[in-house]
Amino acid sequence: MSAARLIAGFFAFALQVAMATHAYGAEPSAVEIGGKAIFRTKCGVCHMAGGTGTFMLERRLGKSQALLEERRDLNAAFIARVVRSGIQSMPRFSRAELPDRELQAVAEYLARNSGGS
Amino acid sequence: MQLVLPPGLSTRRFTRALAAFEGVVGREWVLATDEDRETYLDIYAPGDERAHAPAAAVCPSSTEEVQAIVRLANEYRVPLWPIARGKNFGYGGAAPAMPGTVVLDMTRMNRILEVDAKLGYCIIEPGVGFFDLHDHLARNGIPLWMGIPGNAWGSVIGNALERGFSSSPYGEHCSSLCGLEVVLPTGELVRTGTGAMSNSATWPLFKYGFGPSWDTLFVQSNFGIVTKAGMWLMPEPEATLSMNLRVPRPEDIAWLVDTLTPLRLQRVIEHNVGITSYMGSATLSSQRVEWHEGKGALPDSAVKAIMEKTGAGWWNLSLRLYGLPEVNEAHRALIEKAIAPHPDVRLAVTRWRRGEPHNAAAAPRPSVFPLQIVNWHGGRGGHIAFSPVLPADGARVLEQLARTRQRYAEFGIDYSGTFYICGRHVINVNLMLYNRDDADLTDRTRRLFRTLVTDAAAAGYCEYRTHLTYMDDVARTFDFNDHALLRLNETVKDVLDPNGILAPGKSGIWPRHLRGRRT
Repeated sequence: MSAARLIAGFFAFALQVAMATHAYGAEPSAVEIGGKAIFRTKCGVCHMAGGTGTFMLERRLGKSQALLEERRDLNAAFIARVVRSGIQSMPRFSRAELPDRELQAVAEYLARNSGGS
Repeated sequence: MQLVLPPGLSTRRFTRALAAFEGVVGREWVLATDEDRETYLDIYAPGDERAHAPAAAVCPSSTEEVQAIVRLANEYRVPLWPIARGKNFGYGGAAPAMPGTVVLDMTRMNRILEVDAKLGYCIIEPGVGFFDLHDHLARNGIPLWMGIPGNAWGSVIGNALERGFSSSPYGEHCSSLCGLEVVLPTGELVRTGTGAMSNSATWPLFKYGFGPSWDTLFVQSNFGIVTKAGMWLMPEPEATLSMNLRVPRPEDIAWLVDTLTPLRLQRVIEHNVGITSYMGSATLSSQRVEWHEGKGALPDSAVKAIMEKTGAGWWNLSLRLYGLPEVNEAHRALIEKAIAPHPDVRLAVTRWRRGEPHNAAAAPRPSVFPLQIVNWHGGRGGHIAFSPVLPADGARVLEQLARTRQRYAEFGIDYSGTFYICGRHVINVNLMLYNRDDADLTDRTRRLFRTLVTDAAAAGYCEYRTHLTYMDDVARTFDFNDHALLRLNETVKDVLDPNGILAPGKSGIWPRHLRGRRT
């Protein structure tokens, strides 16, 4: 895929992000916010279609493994560890940026198709 | 990650300080586990990231909490390293200069307090990111545009305070700040400009107030913690016109600088012009192994292959015109006339008008895709940049290019440069990419960096911004009258921050009791 197409794909996604509502403010529970919404607002900028994380995962693991939301082999504990420790070139997320309850919701959301967490 | 205590503090006293911080922000927002400390390390460090290891982080949600933390830090002698969102990638991320410093993380202070569409400004807190502000403007249909840097994950205020910039008419982000609210190192709260009036009607509108103007005191410094700022935003133009240019040879940079600088000074071109080498395309879309597997800098054959396959020139740039369509077309004609004598320039024009669907000439949108560059070598990637400031003069820019490429070749590093024409000066961002697990490569990168600092200083060029590791090196190059500026900075530091608790080592400025730590 060309860089131009990738960037165009990213911009399409950025529009989705721009139209989304950020999960800031009164800190409702993870259940209320939902792992999907948190993932899309705090992780999606890199890990949805056209994102730099998706690009690198496709390079490393192949197209079928590139989009985290479609993966069927993710373990919630592994996701939590990666988010806090980083992996390859992915930066770490502190608890200020992604509190434990939000991280748990994201991890459970991404592991939902993987037969348990 | 093992705890590194602040200098001079016992474990017991540090534990008591953390308990006191918990009394201000709540237990949840004092982050002091091994894992917490790890999350504030510099993930792209050119070497051992523990060289800048934090002792903990404390995360206030308001200015009042920042004041309370600062007062406690004075009481317990705990050094604090303020961060807005901690995405200062390539310059140290969220990590402090001095190991054992506690990060004061203002990520939770993310309120957009005011946006005025008529007068074109916003008042925001440090935790507001470029995505947040862009989202707010888009969701509310506010016709104001932002200057957005390459990595847009970070804080709007944080980027401006580090003198970050972008290629838009409001791209000198520091210059767009108007009115700061600052917690001084003693905990006292001040507002700059007309914000010093308790009922000011012009705080985000008029920068200077009455008497001395203090705003720049808090830029790239450790003299205060900015907790709110006014930021000017650009009214949406009637139309834009984008001109993408590429030229085929390295020496064309001199012609580009000498051709475009007059147009920049005449304000035909109203933004900083970034001129990027072929590596810009290559690092965004590919990895090194696709072009060359050997050690040493990329050979000419690989450069040629990159240019052929990606369609990039040796140099590539995008000019944008903003305003009434008729004026844009007149300026386009002036630019085309100026570049016409060059036989090999390639030009592509895109137009956009208000109300039309988004395209390449429309409002910029935040992205983190440029972080892709860190994957160039594979593995755990990293990047730093050496960015000297030169006169906007083609001959001197060409000399700088030749000297820098020679140094990259000597150290076996792939050259990746951008020259930003910013008016009378040019900022030359020289990117260095590495795999953090390749000790030889990171060692060569560190040695190259220090060599470039020395070379630039010998030519009379300073650096506009630097990584934590090199702050003392760069500060030392300001050597007029036996480093009188550093003495002034540290005299001010000792007066404003008598206990030396705020960001020791930032920009090479150390408090009295820690000056022995200068590298």
